[in-house]
Amino acid sequence: MTLFTKEDCVLCDRLKGRFDLAAMDVVVEVLDDRNSGALAHLAWHSLVETARKTLPVLVLDDCTSVAEFSVIERHLAQRASAYGVAFHVAAAGVNCEGDSCSFN
Amino acid sequence: MPGIKGFLETSFVDWPGRVCAVLFLGGCNLRCPFCHNHPLVLDQESFPACGLEEVMARLARSRQWLGGICVSGGEPTLDPALPGMLSRLKEDGWAVKLDTNGTRPQVLRSLFRAGLVDTVAMDVKAPLVQEKYDRLAGTPVDLEQIRESIRLIGDSGLDHEFRMTVVPGFHVEEDVSLWAETLDKFSGEPPSRLTVQNFNPRSTLDPELMEVIPFPPEVFLRFRNRAHPVEKCVA
Amino acid sequence: MGVVMPIKAEKEKGVAGGTAPGLSRGPGETTDMALFVRTSQEDMTGWNRQRIVDALLRETYIDKDTAERISIDVEQTIASGKVQAITGPLVRELVNAKLLDLGLEQARRMHTRLGVPLYDVDQLLVHPNKENANVPHGPEATNMTLAEGIKKEYALLHVFSPDVADAHLNGDLHMHDLGFIDRPYCSGQSLEYIKKFGLNLPHALSMAKPAKHAEVLLAHMVKFAAALQSHFAGAIGWDAVNLFYAPYLENLTDREVHQLAQMLIFEFSQQAVARGGQAIFSDINIYWEVPKHFENVPAIGPCGKYTGKTYGEYEKHAQRFAWALFDVYKEGDACGRPFFFPKPLVHITEKFFKTEGHMDFLHHICDVAADKGNTYFVFDRGETAKISECCRLSFKLDASDLEDAKKPWRMRYSALQNITINLPRVALLADGDDTALFSLLTDRIMLAVKGHEQKRKFIEKLMAHGENGPLSLLAMKLDGEEYLRLHRCTYLVGMVGLNELIRIHKGGELHQSDDAMKFGLKVIAHMNLMCRKMSEEAGMRFVLEQTPAESTAYRFAKLDLAQFGAPVREVLQGDMERGEIYYTNSTLFNVGTTMSPIERVQREGLFHPLIEAGSLTHIWLGEAQPDKKALADFVINVFRYTENDQVAFSPEFTACLDCNRTSRGLVEKCVYCDSKHVDGITRITGYFTKTSSWNKGKIGELRDRYRNRNRFSQVGSKES
Repeated sequence: MTLFTKEDCVLCDRLKGRFDLAAMDVVVEVLDDRNSGALAHLAWHSLVETARKTLPVLVLDDCTSVAEFSVIERHLAQRASAYGVAFHVAAAGVNCEGDSCSFN
Repeated sequence: MPGIKGFLETSFVDWPGRVCAVLFLGGCNLRCPFCHNHPLVLDQESFPACGLEEVMARLARSRQWLGGICVSGGEPTLDPALPGMLSRLKEDGWAVKLDTNGTRPQVLRSLFRAGLVDTVAMDVKAPLVQEKYDRLAGTPVDLEQIRESIRLIGDSGLDHEFRMTVVPGFHVEEDVSLWAETLDKFSGEPPSRLTVQNFNPRSTLDPELMEVIPFPPEVFLRFRNRAHPVEKCVA
Repeated sequence: MGVVMPIKAEKEKGVAGGTAPGLSRGPGETTDMALFVRTSQEDMTGWNRQRIVDALLRETYIDKDTAERISIDVEQTIASGKVQAITGPLVRELVNAKLLDLGLEQARRMHTRLGVPLYDVDQLLVHPNKENANVPHGPEATNMTLAEGIKKEYALLHVFSPDVADAHLNGDLHMHDLGFIDRPYCSGQSLEYIKKFGLNLPHALSMAKPAKHAEVLLAHMVKFAAALQSHFAGAIGWDAVNLFYAPYLENLTDREVHQLAQMLIFEFSQQAVARGGQAIFSDINIYWEVPKHFENVPAIGPCGKYTGKTYGEYEKHAQRFAWALFDVYKEGDACGRPFFFPKPLVHITEKFFKTEGHMDFLHHICDVAADKGNTYFVFDRGETAKISECCRLSFKLDASDLEDAKKPWRMRYSALQNITINLPRVALLADGDDTALFSLLTDRIMLAVKGHEQKRKFIEKLMAHGENGPLSLLAMKLDGEEYLRLHRCTYLVGMVGLNELIRIHKGGELHQSDDAMKFGLKVIAHMNLMCRKMSEEAGMRFVLEQTPAESTAYRFAKLDLAQFGAPVREVLQGDMERGEIYYTNSTLFNVGTTMSPIERVQREGLFHPLIEAGSLTHIWLGEAQPDKKALADFVINVFRYTENDQVAFSPEFTACLDCNRTSRGLVEKCVYCDSKHVDGITRITGYFTKTSSWNKGKIGELRDRYRNRNRFSQVGSKES
């Protein structure tokens, strides 16, 4: 699994806070103006347009992707259970402020 | 050795209305002088066959793009492995189109019965006149078999088309009219149609035909119009 | 005549074997010869040494004493009697020789003269130009070639700094259209401008009020396009043409609408009589739906007046016109050949699929694509609105653009310049080292940015003279704002030869492995991010574009071959023996590789979202005539399942000049009458043209193109 994120992205931070992603074998890619590797990886999965609209984006092991936040949370929760990794219960709805949650 | 001798992953020309993949099987029982696929007819041994599973694995990746698989040739009904191959394709849920010259109606019948074909295209060479047909097929043809295939296809209830390539020096306009009349006798559903194709001199089985100039567009249009009443009954 | 010559063709001849790389057309060769005929004896009697001094002081920074000294030396040379006839240019060259003797190189550069050797002019005017057949021959064409030659030298000496100019000359990068240094690159606009303001050009002999009739609007459009062509180097694009015409069509019968469509297409396709004998490289953007950003915009109709309706209410008339345009494309010209211009770009959007009749229209345009190849399918996914203006150049409309959309005449866009980076060169120099490769790439982009800044400064200088200056048309302010909105201009950074970069750096070709693809994506991602960063720093908009590179791909290949030899030979595409060599364009895959169109649109499409100014995947059809519904199916899937930006299907034709018939496929002689007097026609990069005009590199590519035949080359597929 790969999770595409960005600094200062409220929703990305929420996931990082809830889950121990490293322990769950989830690769975290941080998109920014210097990280061409992460952008190339994003393009490889045909997700550039998606990420320009919304972040985070999760790529599952079968190479399909999820951009809807609640579904990402569900997948990660399942993954955590499967890996026997503890995670925090979802806090009350966090919303993205402005357009911080996209790669623009 | 028959088998899959050629493979085109994406064709925009072989299945009217659909993007399809094409499998070319080797070997043919006719020797049409204008044939473009003659290496498959005369020299099929020199082409290594590729495995059906390998081909299917490739095609699986393009599943959502492809409207089906067209099995062409050569003459695919000569290949004893054809029914097995088609079953395998159907098993994976592919729609199947078969290209045939109609010389082996018994094979067609059993394939139709087994529900292995969704669409069929039969290449007809000439009106059903012995001398003419033999000349265009490059070999004596049993016209009873051809008639039988036409009946089978016309009554099959399957989407189908008859195709004829018109060759200068061989065909005259009346040939198309005769065909139109032959097909008019069938009133099955879906209706039968004849597609007329102009001769193309590039790489023909009989090298002498490479010197033949195709019908000029305005003449070819007249051939087409003779088929028109048949084409027109397609809704 | 009637030879259509796209204005984007570049005049680079590449490098003749044996000469120093990149310098064959450089300042050294062409500036140092006398251009003008000798002056008369009277001029000699009027000889005045002081003129040399004046010129040196005016044009260079040298001191008065040195200038005096040089003028005395030159006078002695002349007086020595070796010189039989004295000409102004000769005196200047003698002075330059002295400057060189004294080691005053900077002064020599400043004092140099621009011009063309007598021999070259003779060749150009008198002899048919075989080497460069894509320049139509004629007084206008040779005028343009001569002018371009001088302006290009001027640009390299005077507009750009030596490091940028040298990078161009030695092939590290390529600055396009240097011969058009005093113009922006390309332009996209709206019909609304002439609908609202009429044809009211600065310094024109007469002024026309806004058109009352559709035919007059067409006349205005064509004339305005011609005026723009003489102020821009490249494409002239028109947004939503069918929609903006709609208010003029209300009272027209279908027959009349068809007639208008025919006039429009013939007018643009036969405009090869103006600047340099070139056709206007024109694009028309077409929408089946009314784009959301125009829905509630008040429509301008006859006489420039608001009709009282919004564009949303003109959907049916816009559709009628779109349909008619494609009817005309389908018919082709008088010989059934495809029209080369204007190129129709149809936007496929979410709304397209929600608009009534879209499937019929899709089949209609696919029919044209299959039969004549004209249609470009531009995919605008999601809610993004885009405007396409150049070959494949498109811009996403941002918030301020959408504000402009309420007054569509304000919507005019321009890319000021295009600079293409030689990617294989970067790999050759990096010698297998990733860090070196990315750092070289960074250097190249910085240099391109520098080149762009210099061009911008130069254009700003010209624009500063306003409506009485050299760019009066671009400075006109009919709506209060200059026609060329410099602050909104884009600066293009292109690339050639990603495939060969991969071959050199990684071994194997771009399409051959996932690793190669991933590395290729990283290269383009790096370029993309560099452009973002530089845009922020410079306050200019740098955007990647897939360079059409009609001759740049050939020029780079030749320069690299001369400079690097063996390592380049191994990766070059084309036929070495015939000299038909090229690098693969932009991020395209090897054009000859057996690859299904499905795989090609998917895999090439992975690059497209990183190349924000536009990309294109070509499907070469050869002689096969596809089924329109099959193509439509394919197009829908490209929209739904990929991030591919734009697709075009390219058939090939042979047009007989004796029997005037056109047949499918490229053949040596006419299939109908056996005549060898034929023209091959197919798409070269972003437009159709005659293959006889192609440069050697492109001819090499044409031979290689994979035309979706059977995987086993000996076996033809069943089309006939």
